[in-house]
Amino acid sequence: MAATRQTSQRITLLMLVLASITVITLDYRGEASHAINHVRNAIADALSPFQSAVAAALHPLGDVVSAAFHYGQLQSENQQLREMVGEQSRQIAADKYAKATIAEVFNLNNLPFAPNVPKVPAEVISASTSNFAKDVEIDRGTASGVGVGMPVVAASGLVGTVVAASDSTATIQLLTAAPASSISVEDPGSGIYLAGGQGGSECSPLCIATTTPNPAPRHGDLLVTSGENAGAYPPAIPIGTVTAVNPVPGGLSSSVAIEPKVDLANLQYVDVLQWLRPA
Amino acid sequence: MSAANWARLSVLLVLALVFQVTVLDQVVVFGAHPDVMVLLPAAAGLVGGPQRGAVVGFVTGLVADLVVNLPYGLSALCFTLLGFAVGLLLAIPAGREFTSAQIGACMVAAAVGTAGYALLAELVHQRGVLSHSTVSAVLVVSVGALVLGYPAILAMRWVLGGSTNPTFIPSGGSATA
Repeated sequence: MAATRQTSQRITLLMLVLASITVITLDYRGEASHAINHVRNAIADALSPFQSAVAAALHPLGDVVSAAFHYGQLQSENQQLREMVGEQSRQIAADKYAKATIAEVFNLNNLPFAPNVPKVPAEVISASTSNFAKDVEIDRGTASGVGVGMPVVAASGLVGTVVAASDSTATIQLLTAAPASSISVEDPGSGIYLAGGQGGSECSPLCIATTTPNPAPRHGDLLVTSGENAGAYPPAIPIGTVTAVNPVPGGLSSSVAIEPKVDLANLQYVDVLQWLRPA
Repeated sequence: MSAANWARLSVLLVLALVFQVTVLDQVVVFGAHPDVMVLLPAAAGLVGGPQRGAVVGFVTGLVADLVVNLPYGLSALCFTLLGFAVGLLLAIPAGREFTSAQIGACMVAAAVGTAGYALLAELVHQRGVLSHSTVSAVLVVSVGALVLGYPAILAMRWVLGGSTNPTFIPSGGSATA
């Protein structure tokens, strides 16, 4: 009886194995694969709504289970992603910086003012070490032709004056710290000469006392260096825009507040104009 | 197997396939997911012996292959051999209940079935199936069998109810009344 059963079992096994191999062969050789694919596609179509519904319902649970098993890996991946984001952010910032630098250098090479004055391009290498001194240091000095008293400009206008120079570096006193009477300005719109500067102390960031009574410059006027009266700067270099005009009570002059054209807090590249005040 | 057995098996296979595709496939651990389909022939072998294990394995394999993009019939071959081997080596003597042993048998069978499937796939030139990820799959399916094994046995008892042979003699065992 047991032997008969064992024989029956083996015959069943043999038949099923042969059937399986036949199915595999038919699929492998292509005869049945077309029909099988039809059935597979139909099954997939039938199951997909259930899959979507259950997946939507179980996704949070699956995430929890998965996270429990992959906590360390997720932490590591998270760290890697953060590093990648940081790296890409740094890259973007570097690209922006490079573009801005290129634009700045290009503009410096094509200054619309002081066309006939030789220039020494320089990079600002440090800001003032003091919180109170308004000066910066550049990477060019007397060896490059930079000398004390030379005006310094950026692409958009006046920066200041060289007040000290070594062989390889120079110190620039910014426009906003310029001493009184050193800035002689002109309003190109009305042709007013405003002689005698007053930097720093009276109003921020730059204030100039006018000496011509009328007409006073108007709010929004662009002031440029006049080059008159043996001024410290060549003519027609943009200084800044008038932000306020305050007549001095009882006097003929006005106090003119100016917003410099150059962002003096974020200087990077400048040109030193090899120009000296006429004796 | 009677017509009622076949009807119940059909119902079970449909439910198992839907459960596999919609639920278990979502539970991915170490790149693998639990597999209930491989447990059914193992449970059938445990409950019904080698012959029914092989038959259920063959049918289960044909159904399982409907949602797998590998040669059709590969699961049928693997599950047939698995069901038969489990029935021959690990079948539960009638009237005995060793739940932990049954679950352990399911885990071993699931591991062997998964590894065997990868091996068979490699034999029919399905490159990449047998790889280091096979180890993950074997482990995950085995651990999954810890949870799914007993329900699979209960389900297979329901399917094969009335057709199990009470005098089945497992290999190395003795006849039971």
